[in-house]
Order: sequence, then structure tokens, then C-alpha cells
Amino acid sequence: MTGDKITLDHGAGGGLSHELITGVVATTLGAVYVGQMEDSATVPVTTGRIAVTTDSFVVDPVFFGNGDIGKVAVAGTVNDLAVSGARPMYLTLAMIIEEGFPIADLVRILTSVRDTARAAGVSIVAGDTKVVHRGQADGIYLNTTGVGVFEPGTPDLNSRSLKPGDRVIVTGHLGDHSVHLLSLREGLGFEKRVLSDCAPLNHVVADVLAACGNGVHCVRDVTRGGLGTVLNELASASTVDLCVDAEALPVRHETKMAAEMLGVDVIYLANEGVLCVVADEASVSTAVEVLRGHPETAHTAVVGTVSAGGGHVRMRDANGRTSPVDLLYGAQLPRLC
Amino acid sequence: MPKVAVLTNDLQYDLVNKSEERRDVVYSVVPRLAEFLDTLRSLDVLVVHLQLINRPEDPRAERYDGWLPATADSPGRAVLTDIVADVDVTVCKHQASGFFETDLDRILRDAGVQDVIVVGMHTQICVQTTAADAYFRGYNVCVPQEGVISERPADTQRALDWIGSYCGAVLPMSDVVRRVKDGTLAEVMPAPAS
Repeated sequence: MTGDKITLDHGAGGGLSHELITGVVATTLGAVYVGQMEDSATVPVTTGRIAVTTDSFVVDPVFFGNGDIGKVAVAGTVNDLAVSGARPMYLTLAMIIEEGFPIADLVRILTSVRDTARAAGVSIVAGDTKVVHRGQADGIYLNTTGVGVFEPGTPDLNSRSLKPGDRVIVTGHLGDHSVHLLSLREGLGFEKRVLSDCAPLNHVVADVLAACGNGVHCVRDVTRGGLGTVLNELASASTVDLCVDAEALPVRHETKMAAEMLGVDVIYLANEGVLCVVADEASVSTAVEVLRGHPETAHTAVVGTVSAGGGHVRMRDANGRTSPVDLLYGAQLPRLC
Repeated sequence: MPKVAVLTNDLQYDLVNKSEERRDVVYSVVPRLAEFLDTLRSLDVLVVHLQLINRPEDPRAERYDGWLPATADSPGRAVLTDIVADVDVTVCKHQASGFFETDLDRILRDAGVQDVIVVGMHTQICVQTTAADAYFRGYNVCVPQEGVISERPADTQRALDWIGSYCGAVLPMSDVVRRVKDGTLAEVMPAPAS
């Protein structure tokens, strides 16, 4: 490979592009990459229904304590497929790279893509690379599009399926991804105590669905906007009320500290490896047992209940008082100055 | 070897002189802080000045009407001479916490420091994050309530409440000095994080 930085010519479609794709991208991805370098990928599917999702990733910083943008880009799309009940199979990988980006960093990111894809059991079937002038992007942006298949008998999971009496389950510590990245960005001192929770959770979802079947009504991954946003979307879509117990929410002590310092509410902070699962009463204990059996979801807790209502979300504190959990409009900015 | 260190935060000309309001607030504290530091030096306490150096390529560094203060080549990056002595140590930092990607932790450990006293500006940013980081790294943390500075008193109070709740003892300067003399400072601090 010529040079140690990405140049505009690496995205021009000529010899350097070919060198980058074959010598760096395909080589680093290894067996995870099954593309044929054609204009489109042709892939087999085994069932009559597929799930498709796409997401773009702008992660700052690109590298963090226990991951990087490559891990987030694969895990995020895999989880989006998994929570619909689909089995993730194929991903595309598109990269927008700023001129001057170190090729060694690109290799590091691609290595994360490979390792995370391998852990999730998905293949990279197609890709694209664009290089933009210095200053027109901040290092590197990724986009992944994912395809998953629905196996026969997969329950129909969606936001409109919540029923009064259902229980709300959260599978991990809230807000860790946000706190880790914010701490790295601003040097807040929490970055070694609170790591990102980023992880592909498709195997976890598959096991829960296998154990509980139609007893699971909905699964959502808790990402931007946090649990507060997910709960509001679910309550609104199903026209039910949700009430969560503040004391039951799994939150690390350090994350609570950081949120208070920043003047933000943990319930709106992002994760990249936490699910919100809604299951009927009869399935809750099985679902919790299965979830706690996976290391990524070992801190699973039952946090709330669904009741008849008009789409409202409330939080009950330790004294039994309830207050509304409103939908967050816009970003919840940290108060730093 | 000193068991106690004081960490001053961001008391630098460029930062202090951002506005008349800020300058007034800082200089209302500096004489007493200088006296406090002199007393502690006489008790073999290590004084470390955390000096913010802004990097021009850092888009998040605060600019004053487009001007980036406290860069590596700015004369105003210097720590206020009122609070500096020859025996002190200066550690350059680029972010809020004085520990973030700096040698501070190594310097303190090499000096045998177990207890840190955090002072300076701003209470709700650099003092608070440095206190939290020190606590997480296993130091006993103390913050003298008259030795920290914010332009808005409410910010200082909120940050001191937070520090007192989570990671450090908040004491009057006179108590800090007395306890350093007695060797009892650690007794009032919360146990360091494991």
C-alpha cells in the first residue's frame, strides 16, 4: 500500500482506489467480506420475509476506551435488525473518509468491523469508499445497511403490540455509552470507570424469543434519546400508559454521578448495547433468566408496567410519587459552562 | 515525602482576564488562596498548578470572540504569579480534568501523595472533574470552599454539593490547614473509590 494517509486519489476510482479496497479493506475484513466487487451484491435468503435497515455513524471520538466507530456501526445495525425479530445476515459498509486520515487508523476500524461482524455472525457483502477534502468531514463516517431474515414462527415484534399488564425489562446499565464518550471528549474523569456498552445483541434476542415466543411483544434497542424516548414512542404507538420505577432502573453509581455533574437525566442518555424488552406477565421471569445468562445483558432488571391509558409515561420514585417522563425534544446538551 | 498535594486549576492570565466580572471574582479569592498555599508549602504540601493549554485544532476549546486563549505560545498561558512558588510543579493539560492524558497521576504517586486538595476555577468544571478523577484513582479528596471560583455563586454551590455527596470533603480553609497540621485530613474524606 502506497503512503500512510488517505488521499483524494484513494476515492477516485482508479488504481489507488483498487489498491485501498483490495489491499486494505478486503484484506482486513478477511472471511467476513464475501462481496464480489460487482456493482451490486447478490445474496441468497432462506425465507419469504426480510428486514432491512440503514444507519449512518458519526462517532466522536472515533476511538474510545473499549471500541471505535467500526464496532458501533456493525453492532448498531445488527441490533436494529435483531429487535424486529429478524436474524441479521448481511451488511453493507460505506465509508466517507477525510483526506489525510491515517491508513493505520482505517485498518484498526476495519478490524473492529470484522471482529464485531464475526461475533454477530453476519457477512459484509458490499461497500463503498468516498474521500472528501480535508475539513469537509471529521475523520471518518460510516454507513451500514443490514438485511435480516425472519425465520418461520418468529413473533411479530413492533411498537404497537404493548398490552395492559405487560412488564418492561431493561437489559443493562443505562447511559454508559454516552457517559464514556462525553468523558473522553471533555476529559471529565469517568472514562476509565464507565465504558461503552456497545455490543451486538442478536444472539441475546434470538435466545429470548426462542424461550418466550409470543410472550415477548416488543424489543427496542436503547440508543439516541435513551430509555425515556423509547418508552414514549412505545406508549404512544400502543396507546397505553407506562410506569417505571426509578429505583429499579439499572444505573451505575459513576454514571449517576456524571449525569448529575453534567445536568442531564440518565433516562435520556444513549446506549449501544442495551435493550428494552416488553413481555407479558407469564413470560417475564423466563425472559429475565435468559437475559441474565448472557454477559452483555447480565444486569437485566424489570423496571416497569404497562397499563391502559392514552400514551403517557411516568416515573415512580422511592417515595411512591410519580412524575411524567416527557419526550425529549432536540438534544440533551451537557451543561459544561 | 509529601503525603498531601494541592492542585490548582486554570488560574492563568488569559483565562482570568476573560472579562472584568471574572477578573473581579478571581482576585477576590487570590490573596487568601495565596496565603493558604504558602501555609501549606510550609507544611511540606506539594503544590501542583494545572495549566490549561488550548490546542488550536481543538474545535471544542472555548474561544473568546474568536480568539483562542492559553495556547502554547501565548504569554497569558502563565499561572498567576501571586500563587506560584519556585518549589511548585506545573502540569499542562488540554481538557477539564487535570488527570486526563497528563503525567499528574505519576507525579503524585512518585511523591507519595495520598490526599489531594483541589482549588481554582471553575468549580463546576475543572475543579469538579479533577476531584472526581482523583477520587476514582484512589486519592482522598478535599475541596476548601473558599478556594474555588465560579462567576456564578450558584454554580459553585451546586458543584460543592455534588463533590460533598460523591467524592470529597468540602471544608473551610482553616479546617483544611488545621487537619494538614494534625495529620487528620484523611479522616474527614470519603473512602477512595475501589
